[in-house]
Amino acid sequence: MAEYKMKSLMVFNYDRPVIEKGYANQTLCIDISDVVISVKPVTEKIKNVFIGGKGFDLWLLWNAVNSTTTWSDPENAICIASGPMGGTPVYPGSGKSIVTTISPLTGSVIDSNVGGYFGPYLKFSGFDALEVTGKSLKDVVLFIDGIDEKVQIFEASGLPDDSYALSAILTKYFDRGKPRNISVVSTGPGAKNTRMGCLNFTWYDLKRKRARYKQAGRGGIGGVFADKGIKAIVARWDTVTTKTNNPADATTLKEVGRKHSREVVELDPKQNQMAQIGTTHLVPIMNDFDLLPTHNFQYGQHSEADNIGQEVFRRIFDPGYDGCWMGCTLACSHGVKDFVPLTGPYKGIKVFVDGPEYETIAGCGSNLGIFDPHTIIEMNFYCDTYGLDTISVGTSTAFAMECFEMGLINESHTGGMNLSFGNRLAALEVVHQMARGEGFGQIIGRGVRQMKMIFSRDYGADPDLMQDIGMEAKGLEFSEYMTKESLAQQGGYGLALKGPQHDEAWLIFLDMVHNFMPTFEQKAEALHWFPMFRTWFGLCGLCKLPWNDVVPEDNKDTPEPAKVMKHVEWYADYYTAVTGRQTTADGLIRMSEAVYNFQRIFNLKMGFGQREHDNIPYRAMGPVKIVEYESRAERYDKQLVEKHNIDITGKTTEEKIALLRKFRENLYEKLKDAVYKRRGWTSNGIPTIDTVKRLGIDFPEVLELLKAHGVES
Amino acid sequence: MIRVNGKKHFWYEGMTIKDLLNNFNKSHLYAVVRINDKHISRPYFEKTLIPDNSEVFLIPMVAGG
Ligand code: SF4
Repeated sequence: MAEYKMKSLMVFNYDRPVIEKGYANQTLCIDISDVVISVKPVTEKIKNVFIGGKGFDLWLLWNAVNSTTTWSDPENAICIASGPMGGTPVYPGSGKSIVTTISPLTGSVIDSNVGGYFGPYLKFSGFDALEVTGKSLKDVVLFIDGIDEKVQIFEASGLPDDSYALSAILTKYFDRGKPRNISVVSTGPGAKNTRMGCLNFTWYDLKRKRARYKQAGRGGIGGVFADKGIKAIVARWDTVTTKTNNPADATTLKEVGRKHSREVVELDPKQNQMAQIGTTHLVPIMNDFDLLPTHNFQYGQHSEADNIGQEVFRRIFDPGYDGCWMGCTLACSHGVKDFVPLTGPYKGIKVFVDGPEYETIAGCGSNLGIFDPHTIIEMNFYCDTYGLDTISVGTSTAFAMECFEMGLINESHTGGMNLSFGNRLAALEVVHQMARGEGFGQIIGRGVRQMKMIFSRDYGADPDLMQDIGMEAKGLEFSEYMTKESLAQQGGYGLALKGPQHDEAWLIFLDMVHNFMPTFEQKAEALHWFPMFRTWFGLCGLCKLPWNDVVPEDNKDTPEPAKVMKHVEWYADYYTAVTGRQTTADGLIRMSEAVYNFQRIFNLKMGFGQREHDNIPYRAMGPVKIVEYESRAERYDKQLVEKHNIDITGKTTEEKIALLRKFRENLYEKLKDAVYKRRGWTSNGIPTIDTVKRLGIDFPEVLELLKAHGVES
Repeated sequence: MIRVNGKKHFWYEGMTIKDLLNNFNKSHLYAVVRINDKHISRPYFEKTLIPDNSEVFLIPMVAGG
């Protein structure tokens, strides 16, 4: 073990408040520049408008930054919160945290939700949210000790850089013989040297006797953390029971929690088997429906996809309970035991790998033309260990590989690396270079948007072509679903507040496979309801998977099966039972709407948040290259003839691509119009005065900002 | 004899997933079916034969990530 030193710089003692109906009613602020710790009260108004979780984070961040703040400015805050229901052990999926900051990739607000014990432990220690600002020249470790009622700042030296070793050491350092009382938030060297750093949040696995990890992956939050000089943030808390969160009505809570838990236990084995195989079942399904991204989102299917699907991972995953929060019966956070990497600093050493999940398999596998589970697991391991987001790493590397294959870049740019699709060693080397901050890996680590600029400026690559095939929007790399044939999912990605991540809306199946929303109005309605409901989980400290990855057997007989309304109603009961505030299924949507619109306006504050920022690259809408069109020529020809009444006789593929593009781009613009209207926004995508008043977010600063953008009553 | 969602169901030689689904209402909502541990998606319903003694699960809705 490395020689390390921890020198206490400051101790802040406090009286831990009693948790009242899911709230600690105060937040913790740590300024690491001036080594100042303070506590802010949470008012009833803040609770009413922002609910908790992401809502609280956004409010703290809004007040911390101004419109010119960049990700690396000291005033940029990293905010972490759970939510009023976070930390409930009797309801499946109730231990999530949400992290927000100004992102190095997008320049605007990013949010990322994550499992592990940190958020609940923070709240039970007395804080609904944590806000860290400032920067430290020396590495610091922040320790929030809810048992001894103190917050401590340590100057740390000699600790390992990688998250894997660091979390294990810090768990041991702080655990006083009870490692389950500890949750560590950390990142790794990749976060320092790229724009796509993630945070690892630990939960302690009693059976396997080790710290396990979940990632707040998206948007480079790890980079902000590393740039601030934070080595780790550690929370310590004791035993958790239903009483710890002091719910308003424990009897109802236990009843509704038991119902949902029982249903998961009974139905998951019959349905998606997530307790055994996680989200890996999606690989063959996406492949069958031409939705699994391969070769930088050119195609949605590959003959070797079965090599990286659930049948393989069923054998590879270490069997046992894998709940990232206590009592989660869906327990989908699987891992691989005794994995031996073939490359890098852990070469030849047995390690435990947390994952892979679907996104990693598609991002670091199929999208790179890699269909070998070992390579994917190794990429997964090193991305976590180095503190890198597997989605951005995958999508950025896929873009670089396509540029390489098209001759837009060559070996003189890549440092001699052959970046052809399917080159497993090259993909791994890219990840190692990202961690070392060296070579071409460092350029890929800047993300697709920056690569497009560098390749065009320095290597003379065609900027228009790269704009079409570079899978980023708002500066964030796409997550791993093909959207060419689903207009609703194009909107699900393009209109998402933070950039193209599927956690706001995953409508591909409903739209493309089930054809539930043939009209624009129906798509717009879906692009209202689903993002709002999904947002609600992030306000409350919840995981969305138990909502619709297990569904009641009679769900299909309900009027709107996609919404799984029986569960939505349980969630309304759950919210009321914890907070004592009466609500209904519609009430949940209304809660999210306020926070959602506030985040849109936050984007506006940071110089984004308008119609032009909701654009997506054409590859997300249709075929860019001749080979792409011709691989699915029957489909595209049929659409031109039947849907758009075009006589294609004698037309070249290029001509047909251009025609299809015109139609599809036009449809996407019409979709924007319909969604903006449904959300109560102007045609430029800005919430109207009526909307902000209706939602209670008509703060003076908000009204001023709207006015500055020509939005007045 | 096979089991469908845990309940006994008749079986005949040559029965495909499409044939099986014809016996259920709102079967258009099933885009994926699991036979034992293997997922089969709608494009393959017509040509996938169900072996005797299979455990079949009709996956209600693929909800994604
Ligand atoms: S369903 Fe999976 S990700 Fe969600 S809380 Fe449970 S174990 Fe964690």
